Amino acid sequence: MEFISVKDVVKEYETAVALRGVDMDVEKGRWVSIVGPSGSGKSTLLNIIGGLDSPTKGSVFIDGVDLGSLSEDAMARFRRENIGFVFQQSHLVPYLTSVENVMLAQYFHSITDEAEAVEALNRVGLGHRLHHRPSQLSGGEQQRVCIARALINSPKILLADEPTGNLDRENTRLILELLKKLHSEEHFTIILVTHDPFVSKWAERLLTMEDGRIIKDEPLYC
Amino acid sequence: MNKRKWFLHFLWRSLSQRKGRVAVASASVMIAAAIVVSALGISLGIRQKLGGELRSYGANVIITPKEEKYLSDEVFSFLSSDVEVEDFSGQLYARVSVNGADVEMIGLDFKKLQGWRIEGRTPAEGEILIGTNIRDALGLKLNDAVKVTVGDRDILMKVSGFVERGGPEDNAVMLDLAQSQRLTGLVGKLSAVFVRVKSRNIGETVKALRDHMPYVNVKTLRQVAFAEESFLKKIELLMALVTLVVLVASGISVSSTMSATVLERLKEIGLMKAIGGTKNSIRRFYLAEGCIIGIIGGLSGYVLGFLSAQAVSKGAFGSFISIPFYVFFISLGMGVLIAVSSSILPVTDALRYKPSSILRGE
Repeated sequence: MEFISVKDVVKEYETAVALRGVDMDVEKGRWVSIVGPSGSGKSTLLNIIGGLDSPTKGSVFIDGVDLGSLSEDAMARFRRENIGFVFQQSHLVPYLTSVENVMLAQYFHSITDEAEAVEALNRVGLGHRLHHRPSQLSGGEQQRVCIARALINSPKILLADEPTGNLDRENTRLILELLKKLHSEEHFTIILVTHDPFVSKWAERLLTMEDGRIIKDEPLYC
Repeated sequence: MNKRKWFLHFLWRSLSQRKGRVAVASASVMIAAAIVVSALGISLGIRQKLGGELRSYGANVIITPKEEKYLSDEVFSFLSSDVEVEDFSGQLYARVSVNGADVEMIGLDFKKLQGWRIEGRTPAEGEILIGTNIRDALGLKLNDAVKVTVGDRDILMKVSGFVERGGPEDNAVMLDLAQSQRLTGLVGKLSAVFVRVKSRNIGETVKALRDHMPYVNVKTLRQVAFAEESFLKKIELLMALVTLVVLVASGISVSSTMSATVLERLKEIGLMKAIGGTKNSIRRFYLAEGCIIGIIGGLSGYVLGFLSAQAVSKGAFGSFISIPFYVFFISLGMGVLIAVSSSILPVTDALRYKPSSILRGE
């Protein structure tokens, strides 16, 4: 079994079907991009892999663990140990500083260590923005805080849902270069959802989705 | 920073971010706590004060002589030994003349009286307290010298004060009991003894008094005894109902404030779930906030309620009441209970949602 294994996952809502039997395997340490038009089911797939949502049918295995067998609290514990998230809207807590936002992830994981949080922010180039609140940061800086928060607990997987969706080209490049650097240093698995072909080409493998199905699966050579 | 310090730090950040909402919620709790403290304080104090007022108006049992003209002090000895007797006081009545006007004199124990509003002071040796009707009739002022004629003796006495009670005292003059007994030559004699018997045993106690003192009349002021208890119970019931209504209203108010707060912070809850917060760990943050709001409201409510109760008591009885210290803990506990219980439902409801729905903005 691969590190991440998605088996015949279906997701149905009352008025629509988001996923129509998706199968997908991901090797450990790989960077996979998922592209597709709006409504193709890529974010839904990402959420199900991350345990933020549950499939109507099918199963997801991560490192041998069947996510469907976990209770809600067990899933939360699994997420904090293994998965980091970067969202399109960074979802930083508005009244916490950059350091405090990173420490929030530490709090739920184990212990809070301000020095470690500062180090994480230094790695993403925000050593000079430690005590700024999100409203005082640019979009690109907010996403870098989000990346620091996502990686503070050394997860095995980074799930990124349109992480550059709100950024201009320059900031997009900066974020992607940062992710590439961290990926090469720490070898976590990345699954990145995007509608932007420029962003998708930074991955090692590209999955294309349409109407709830994976219609193409191709390697990329960076 | 260890986890506990971080928890408190986050709590502080969160509350200071929402000072307005915290103030509104705390104010709701404060008002509820103030009304409860006030109602409880007045209720506890009124029993004390009302009992005192009725004691000073007349007790629930009166002992008068049967065949003799006067009672002797021996009655006191017997009453002192009866555990069902809460208190007693003797009075001596006589007709005297004050500045030529024929008036009733009442000799009584001023130390046993409570709640008498005296303009001036209680009379010491050589002094006399005047009812307001007598004052007006004779045109007397404080510290005036008056001629008191008892039998064929004239004594000059100083007016120590005036009293108005809406009763027979307004048409009488009053002296300390021992002084009145000496003036009238009736040392050791009493016209009546007013006894306060514990209301629940009044029938049995009266029977026992009659059995032990067959030479006296023992009468119950039955209506007074029952009216007192009935009145007190009505007051307490009214206070309890007001308290209940206030608690419910406060709970609804705080609950709606907390619901609005939780709704505002739904994305924060979704994020916490996404980054690995379990339901309990997230719930703890919000309930702790509720606890802080409850403590602020409970503390400030206690102060406000305490002051209100004293103001009401001063207005109604002319004096302050003693509020037991445990009322402080009731206020604090109640404040925390209202705030925390009002927070539970909105938070629990928010935790039902999947993180993906919340973060997507559904």
